[in-house]
Amino acid sequence: MFRTSTSALALGIAVVGAAVFWRSSVVPAETTSSPTAAPFDQHMIWGTYKKYCDTCHFGPKARGNVNLETLDLSNLNVNGATWEKVLRKLRGREMPPPGALRPDEGTYKTLVTAITTERDRLADTRPTPGRPTMHRLNRAEYANAVRDLLGLQVDVSELLPPDDSGYGFDNIGDVLTVSPELLERYLLASGKVARQAVGDTKIPTAYQTYTVAHGLKQDDRMADDLQIGSRGGTVVEHLFPVDGEYEIAVELQRGRAGELLGNGRVRKLNLRLDDQAVHDDFTVPANRGRRADINTQVGKDTEQGYKVRIPVKAGMHTIAAAFEKDTVLPEGIQFRQRFDAIQSYFEGVGAISIVGPYNVQGPGDTLSREKIFICHPASADDEIPCAEKIFTNLVHHAYRRPVAADDIPALLTLYKQGAEAGGFEQGIRLALQKVLVSPSFLFRVELDPTDVSPGGVRQVSDIELASRLSFFLWSSIPDDELLAVAEGGKLRDPAVLEGQVRRMLADPRSQALVQNFAGQWLFLRNIPAVQPDPAAFPTWDENLRQAMRKETELWLESQMREDRSVVDLLTTDYTFVNQRLAEHYGMKGIWGNDFRRVAVEDPRRRGLLGQASIMAVTSYPNRTAPTVRGKWVLEQLLGTPPPPPPPNVPFLKEDAAHGKLSMRQRMEDHRTAPQCAVCHKIMDPIGFALENLDGIGKWRDLGGDEGTEPIDPSGVLPDGSAFDGPAGLRDVLVKRHDMFVENFVERLLTYAMGRGVEEYDRPVIRKIARDAGPDDKWSAIILNIVKSKPFQMIQTGEKGA
Amino acid sequence: MANVITGKKIDRRTFLYGTGAAVALPLLDAMTPAFAVESARPTRLGWFQTPNGIMNLQNEFFQKEAGALELGPILQPLADFKDRMLTFSGLDSQQAAGLGFEIAGDHPRACTAWLTGTHAKMTAGADIHAGKSADQIAAQHFGQETQLASLQVALESAEVVGSCEAAYSCAYFNTISWRDEQTPLPMEYRPRALFERLFGAAGTTDPKVLAALRQEDRSILDAVGEDVKRLRGKLGQKDRGKIDQYTDAMRDVERRIQRAEAQKDRDIPALEGPGGIPTVFSDYFKLMADVMVLAYQTDMTRVITFQMGHEMSLRSYPELGFTDSHHSQTHHHGEAEKIAKVIQINTFHTKMLAYYLDKLRNTPDGDGSLLDHTLIMYGAALSDANLHLYTDLPILMVGGGINGIKGGQHIKYPSRTPVTNLLLTMLDKAGVPKVDRLGDSTGRLDLAANSKSVDAASRRTL
Repeated sequence: MFRTSTSALALGIAVVGAAVFWRSSVVPAETTSSPTAAPFDQHMIWGTYKKYCDTCHFGPKARGNVNLETLDLSNLNVNGATWEKVLRKLRGREMPPPGALRPDEGTYKTLVTAITTERDRLADTRPTPGRPTMHRLNRAEYANAVRDLLGLQVDVSELLPPDDSGYGFDNIGDVLTVSPELLERYLLASGKVARQAVGDTKIPTAYQTYTVAHGLKQDDRMADDLQIGSRGGTVVEHLFPVDGEYEIAVELQRGRAGELLGNGRVRKLNLRLDDQAVHDDFTVPANRGRRADINTQVGKDTEQGYKVRIPVKAGMHTIAAAFEKDTVLPEGIQFRQRFDAIQSYFEGVGAISIVGPYNVQGPGDTLSREKIFICHPASADDEIPCAEKIFTNLVHHAYRRPVAADDIPALLTLYKQGAEAGGFEQGIRLALQKVLVSPSFLFRVELDPTDVSPGGVRQVSDIELASRLSFFLWSSIPDDELLAVAEGGKLRDPAVLEGQVRRMLADPRSQALVQNFAGQWLFLRNIPAVQPDPAAFPTWDENLRQAMRKETELWLESQMREDRSVVDLLTTDYTFVNQRLAEHYGMKGIWGNDFRRVAVEDPRRRGLLGQASIMAVTSYPNRTAPTVRGKWVLEQLLGTPPPPPPPNVPFLKEDAAHGKLSMRQRMEDHRTAPQCAVCHKIMDPIGFALENLDGIGKWRDLGGDEGTEPIDPSGVLPDGSAFDGPAGLRDVLVKRHDMFVENFVERLLTYAMGRGVEEYDRPVIRKIARDAGPDDKWSAIILNIVKSKPFQMIQTGEKGA
Repeated sequence: MANVITGKKIDRRTFLYGTGAAVALPLLDAMTPAFAVESARPTRLGWFQTPNGIMNLQNEFFQKEAGALELGPILQPLADFKDRMLTFSGLDSQQAAGLGFEIAGDHPRACTAWLTGTHAKMTAGADIHAGKSADQIAAQHFGQETQLASLQVALESAEVVGSCEAAYSCAYFNTISWRDEQTPLPMEYRPRALFERLFGAAGTTDPKVLAALRQEDRSILDAVGEDVKRLRGKLGQKDRGKIDQYTDAMRDVERRIQRAEAQKDRDIPALEGPGGIPTVFSDYFKLMADVMVLAYQTDMTRVITFQMGHEMSLRSYPELGFTDSHHSQTHHHGEAEKIAKVIQINTFHTKMLAYYLDKLRNTPDGDGSLLDHTLIMYGAALSDANLHLYTDLPILMVGGGINGIKGGQHIKYPSRTPVTNLLLTMLDKAGVPKVDRLGDSTGRLDLAANSKSVDAASRRTL
């Protein structure tokens, strides 16, 4: 095939683009290293190479730039990247290419086993654990660290800018930079956090507004925290920094052009603090939306009335604002949404804002004060010793290591400066700011001992291992127990290590794995940004957006906590829905906004590929995108991304004639060119299998622009495997579950290490996947990652000049 | 209370009730600074964009003929400033044109091209691409002397749903300022956050409080500096690179604090920080305008880029007596009622500009007022928003008297003169070292009416 291609580009793509381990229906059990196998038979490998490979892959002009002459058969660690390429091609039976002289199946198996075994053996005996670049805390980690250190929930999206990503994750050491703007924000944040944490009675008045997502329908009870009998509204958790008075105000929901929503009935608005009403119900006059009485909106703030100023004690409190439920509902469409207008029968709550403190009474009694002030000075003489105790405790936890002698003096100097100006607690506050800005807090530091020579490998210290563990599983700092175990030198005991890992997985903080790992791996973080065109998807709304994300998050968390096989991600027969999502999925008899677990009766909907969230993030705003979906499956699930497209690819023609064609027919046009077909032949069938799920994940039997074209979800992959629809595609993927598991391991290892995966990690990934089998459970994979050489060890670096 | 220098009365602002937040903008105490401030004040630059074009079908914005400036109805609110104003016809943004295969996108291309003269790459993904904008060129130059290189302010949140087009990332709509071809700069829409960017979290401009904060920040950075030195000695080569990034950032922040220290005797009006976003648009504008004036006045920055609303803005203006959204009215298809509403909105916006210019005029700066030293371009990225045209852009400039600019005229340039030529001319007048080109620029403009002596280069047909 490749010999007849005319252009070099096509050649290159043909070679690479035949990423066709689809050719092989062989489950690659041959990647099992056999420790009892014969030693690496250099002679056999050499003979095979001479017979089948060296016509093309020899010397500086080797095809595809793969020159096998550079390999050293006595040491497969040399040119590891090439060996891994060879292995990949052999496993996929892609090389030698069809048309050339090829070995028989037995020889293929022997080759693959031999190379894999030897590579893996070397990885074990001469490990290359890599050396992640010193890792700056990303903003999720910063928020969690502050939460665990000081008992304070902070909104990092306000305080810190978003982080850059690499290799699909935002916790990659190389990519996380420090800019002057970022440092300024750290300084500003340290002031806000420290003052809130300490309960600074001089804290400046703060203005916090919690906005309800624009366009959210509020026609039912919105949350469990809102009262039964309530309709619409919202509930927020807010940290009140000190005892004092605060002004709490409610804004009503507005439409796209800023008009108040509602349709002409007087309403009662109920405002509660920690479930206690703080005021008589407000009376909301009849709003008529776009036909509103202009005088109520012109030049006046119509919402001066929905506020109270009340004394509140320091700490976290919930504030709920909601309307009384109607006893009788009108018929028909209650909420109409267009790109430029929203019309609603119901008023809604648009935002809750909190201003304060005024008339500060005192610092109050908060969790963060408890954590910070482990002592209170009994007298003036006691202040410095108490401050020292406080700093020792804070530094120990914030820097995640035993306190060093030179940690405390700088803090005491700052303390004195602050105390001089404002007293003991101000001194503590100022020093705490320094802790929060220090590189020992902001960076995960791993120091080579002075007596270790560069270019070798060493085990990371127990303390360093503890941080690796906590940032992996919790995206946060180690807790007391983990620190104690590490400092006691017990963490390397296999039973203890496993115990800690299991404890940490069971802890609620491991939700971070769902939020941060799975959220990025599966593109869930894109859900807030998708912009489905209301003309193409009239049923789309904000409620659906929120529900689809919540479904996948709840579902992933259940998979992890129930310690299922990761392959279940492809096949499970349950999910979580609320009324809105159930309607979307065509499930009957589900009422209310709360989520509950349900069985997925329709086999075509089971697993990841049946979830609306995944379908939404792999579509265009006005239609499905089979190629995008195909690429997503190949790349995110199987770890075999297609090569990038050539430049200047024109878009799909959107004219009327093409509207009559089904998506499949339209894309036929783009598969007639051979240099395109090579890759699209693999990507598109996968996407077509999912065509019944529209751009927001709703099932449809007919497609095309008018919704009149029948959908044919069948496909055949280049290796001959046929499938029909999502269920068929799923079966094909499950047959390749080894690839799925290896890809999962690769992704999770990237996330755990905070660096991209290199060729020397491939044997590690294979080993982890092997050791986690045959069940492939979440805990087994995680545990094997923790026990792996890259996680336990590090390459020693060159000392700086 | 009267201003002793100019004798003009400064209105005392009343408390504004925003979203449950009290805003105190008491009297601007602008009395003594004239003595404390150097006499040669630098030129400030400002770029004000208003969305969805400006009605000009019947010359409501500017006239047809070059010559003395006649104010159409939309410009009437600016009558007081006529002698400092210039309007231009013939300017356009060819880079806003759609290439054959591009789907829609007139709005995002237009607003992206306005200050960059580049063609926004059609993508809804992360690979957005445009070009560096004029304000950032200025920011790079002036930023060496001011605490903030530039400010970007908008009166619309970046989160308004349904306001981006399918094929173009929302990133294109949410800004007009680009640091480089891949980095759009966020536009701040929250009054509080804007204030904090200037004055920190203390929520006040009280110089004693600010000085105390600066002192604290300096001490923190000093203490951290010790940490860094110690840590660096123990790190390997690769990690030292990371720590050096941190050190560079520290030095930058320290420099900003030093600049603030050097300027501490400059009189800053005593202000309490604002709170939430006011519901009524004119209140919102005035609040943000006050903070922007403050930024110029305190020389925190000399470059401000401002958006009255994001391009394609759906905002409605109930205080004008109707609740139709701006964008929908601009697609009037000839209906008189819609056209009338558009004119009302456009006039309202220039009225807001008038407030801002008035405030600048009432703020002493050196031997004149801030307005004497500020060069502002105001206009829209589209001309006829009904047809999505970007030729003959409605642009005015306020800056008569600066560096020889003669106000009170309408200048007619040959059609298809790139607006980037005007941007370069502005940069020249403000004293930015000569910039060779910007986007699709072809030269400079001669800011003289009846001028046939436009740069030879800009006579080139595009």
